[in-house]
Amino acid sequence: MERVMEKDTANYKDYSLLSYHHIPGVHNLEIFERAGGYEMMKKCFGMEPDAIKEEVKASGLRGRGGAGFPTGVKWGFFSKDRNAKKYLLCNADESEPGTFKDRFLVEKNPHILIEGMIISAWALGTQKGYIYIRGEFYQQAVIIERALKEAYAKGYLGKNIMGKGFDFDLYVHRGAGAYICGEETGMISSLEGKKGQPKLKPPFPAIKGYRGLPTMVNNVESLAAVPWIMRFGAAEYKKWGTEKSAGTKLFSISGDVNKPGVIEVPLGTSLKDIIEIHCGGMRNGHKLKAVIPGGSSSPVFNHDESYAVKMDYEDVAAKGSMLGSGAIVVLDETRNIGDLMKWTLEFYHHESCGQCTPCREGTGWLESVFKRRDIGKAQKSDIDLLDKTAASMRGQTICALADAAAMPAQGMIKAFRSELEAYIMTPTHTGKR
Amino acid sequence: MTEKVKITWNGKEIEAVKGSNLLQAALDNGQEVAHYCYHAGLSIAGVCRMCMVEQDGVPRAFPACNATCGEGMVVRNDTPKILAAVEATLQFHLVNHPLDCPVCDQAGECGLQDYYMKHGKYDSQMIDKKVHKDKVQDIGKNVMLDAERCILCSRCTRFTEEVTKTNELGILNRGDHAEITVNEDLKNDYAQNLVDICPVGALTSKDFRFKQRVWFLEEVFTTCIGCETGCSVKVSQNKNGAYRVKPVFDEKVNGHWMCDDGRGIYKHVSSPTRLQNASENSNGLFVPVDESKVTELVKGLKTKFILSTSLTNQEYAAFFAAVKGSKAEVALYTLPVLGPDFDGILRRGDKNANLRGAEAAFLAAGFDSTQVGLDKVLNSIGSSDVVYVVVPEILYNEDHFNTLLNKIEKAGTRIALTPGETLSSMKVFNFLLPVPSFLEKEGDIVNFQSELRKLNAGLSYGETTKDVSYYGKWVNV
Repeated sequence: MERVMEKDTANYKDYSLLSYHHIPGVHNLEIFERAGGYEMMKKCFGMEPDAIKEEVKASGLRGRGGAGFPTGVKWGFFSKDRNAKKYLLCNADESEPGTFKDRFLVEKNPHILIEGMIISAWALGTQKGYIYIRGEFYQQAVIIERALKEAYAKGYLGKNIMGKGFDFDLYVHRGAGAYICGEETGMISSLEGKKGQPKLKPPFPAIKGYRGLPTMVNNVESLAAVPWIMRFGAAEYKKWGTEKSAGTKLFSISGDVNKPGVIEVPLGTSLKDIIEIHCGGMRNGHKLKAVIPGGSSSPVFNHDESYAVKMDYEDVAAKGSMLGSGAIVVLDETRNIGDLMKWTLEFYHHESCGQCTPCREGTGWLESVFKRRDIGKAQKSDIDLLDKTAASMRGQTICALADAAAMPAQGMIKAFRSELEAYIMTPTHTGKR
Repeated sequence: MTEKVKITWNGKEIEAVKGSNLLQAALDNGQEVAHYCYHAGLSIAGVCRMCMVEQDGVPRAFPACNATCGEGMVVRNDTPKILAAVEATLQFHLVNHPLDCPVCDQAGECGLQDYYMKHGKYDSQMIDKKVHKDKVQDIGKNVMLDAERCILCSRCTRFTEEVTKTNELGILNRGDHAEITVNEDLKNDYAQNLVDICPVGALTSKDFRFKQRVWFLEEVFTTCIGCETGCSVKVSQNKNGAYRVKPVFDEKVNGHWMCDDGRGIYKHVSSPTRLQNASENSNGLFVPVDESKVTELVKGLKTKFILSTSLTNQEYAAFFAAVKGSKAEVALYTLPVLGPDFDGILRRGDKNANLRGAEAAFLAAGFDSTQVGLDKVLNSIGSSDVVYVVVPEILYNEDHFNTLLNKIEKAGTRIALTPGETLSSMKVFNFLLPVPSFLEKEGDIVNFQSELRKLNAGLSYGETTKDVSYYGKWVNV
């Protein structure tokens, strides 16, 4: 699967999102444009906004942030009044443990995101946009800022873009490092200057979002896919992937493989191929034990499930997990699932915003119960308690963080129960036993 | 806006205003819905997750507090799924809640206790260390905060944000380390409402805490006599006296709230220094005396009355009925305006609880209720007169009242009818006679909007009486 790519020319044949990534210096507007960048923006300004929306809807593009909700359908909920004040918000608060695709996308090629956002803004009629970027991504924020300056200088952003009488201002807003600000309403709260806590839905942000005005929140990857879709059309895009999971997807692969990193493959590619072919197989010849298929909040797959699954929204869901943000964490047999569980529960306990009771108290309690071996009070039945507690957290809160904590816990219990029992019954140096 | 819709709640048809809050509609129709964060007077937070309901045709359960009533909705909160969810959520509320019930003032009226008895009754599986927070915080204005007991329903922060707009409270940190934080000590004049709206024992009143268990108290629904607003209130009391005042929802007058000044109106009622018997001034000391001795002394003398504005309409009517045909002169002492006319929420500068009622009664009887009328009576006092002064029930400005007392010194006999404590300035009187306080009488008062509100008797204290003719009896002795 080695791909030969010509320098300075975009490879639209194999990639939609990473079609420019092999070009040295493509973060410069000049080089990006020479390779075909911003062509689609210019073309789209000659199109009716509704036609763009239709094309995106027809492409079957699904939100790449994790939920997988069809982007075109979400756009359909948005206010159609072009004169009304509205916002386009790009979710670059990529905080799901294991995920680093958006970072890779924008640090090498910020202009593909900006082009996608300008086209989306034109289609949606938003006058202002924000790129809410994770606080830890300082360098990436600098890169985007620099790219925005170039785009402003070229007149692609600001007042009366391309003489179409359309104004679009785009800003970068850095978060302060909270996982919950990646949830779209939490992000809006944070952007408003409030504590980053999700808001009750309904009303949905498309109706009442940032500052109480209609706001469209899309993931970096979703917005960056728009230029390719507009270039070759929805039908071409649908040639990639499966019927319900169209297009290509970025996967961030980490863990015990020979070549971890970010790859772009059509949805529906088997996890086996991703590990064996794209990532060069398991590291040091170890045996695969488990795979987290979609970031830390997705239930884990055991060895057999991992080799059987195809990486699209439906198949992963059918096998009891979720595609999420496409963060694949590969674990070999040297890893202890107990450590993974402990680390996952600690993470969600730390990141719960503290608004809804089941999540605020539940995430902390899950961690306490799992760590009872530290106080010498662990029993095998604690695993049942964990399972029951996690189950009762699901679907009870404003946002999905409680589910994000409960699902992997339940998944690990389902797949590796005996190992977890052994883990919690192992005394630690702090636990008297 | 008043279009009615029909909703099926747990199989029972209820009626509600279209677009109104679903949880409120259920509560208004007598349905039981567990809730902590919802309060009709505040915005929707939707964080306690207790009011979850299932609706036909909606795949996910959702909180009733964030839903609006629509025609033909079929909603249930008694399905096994919802009951299990409520039990689990209650358990989450209690995970880090300290077992303070034996020493907690909220015990007996605590949301956690109530719902545990209804939805909980499980054995605790919590053997882990609880999260500890600061338990004793004096946050000003007679309010104490125990952060450990707090369930973070955010009612209090929303109150300071939305009602008083003073923003003293906020929530600091996240996850189970989140706690109510005091940006600055409470400075608003409605701080005691925080104690009322707190569904658990996190916010308690310094005035009430450790004084009484709530199950030993009875509530008397009455009206605040602290100012002309006339908020509907309930006074918690038992045979030992009154202990606290809380607001009662009254759409026309006070809504859900009342001011901090009104919280103190009960204090004179069971005060140890309250006048209990008819007393005679004996060289500056008041000693009990038989009332017949007073009657004997004032017989046939010219009488002048100075009434207060805290009597009921019935007391004024009975008094003026007695005055009719007599030669008695009557004037009205009105309390001076204190502070701004209106603070924008409830409290008013005019502290005369039943000024409207008094004025109407004076007018009907042909007497002058104004300052001119008062001055006229005061100036005509002679050494052979007997002057009766009805002491206002709540005296915010004692100095102002003292200037009145200075002007009656010329009178031969000076008698005070007082529903409250004996003040040092009362040495000017020859006799003191106890009269019922607002908690010991029944009747109506009229507030600044001309709304009629009831006073209800709760306590019977000392030798006072509920007889409204008490004042009139002294007109013709």
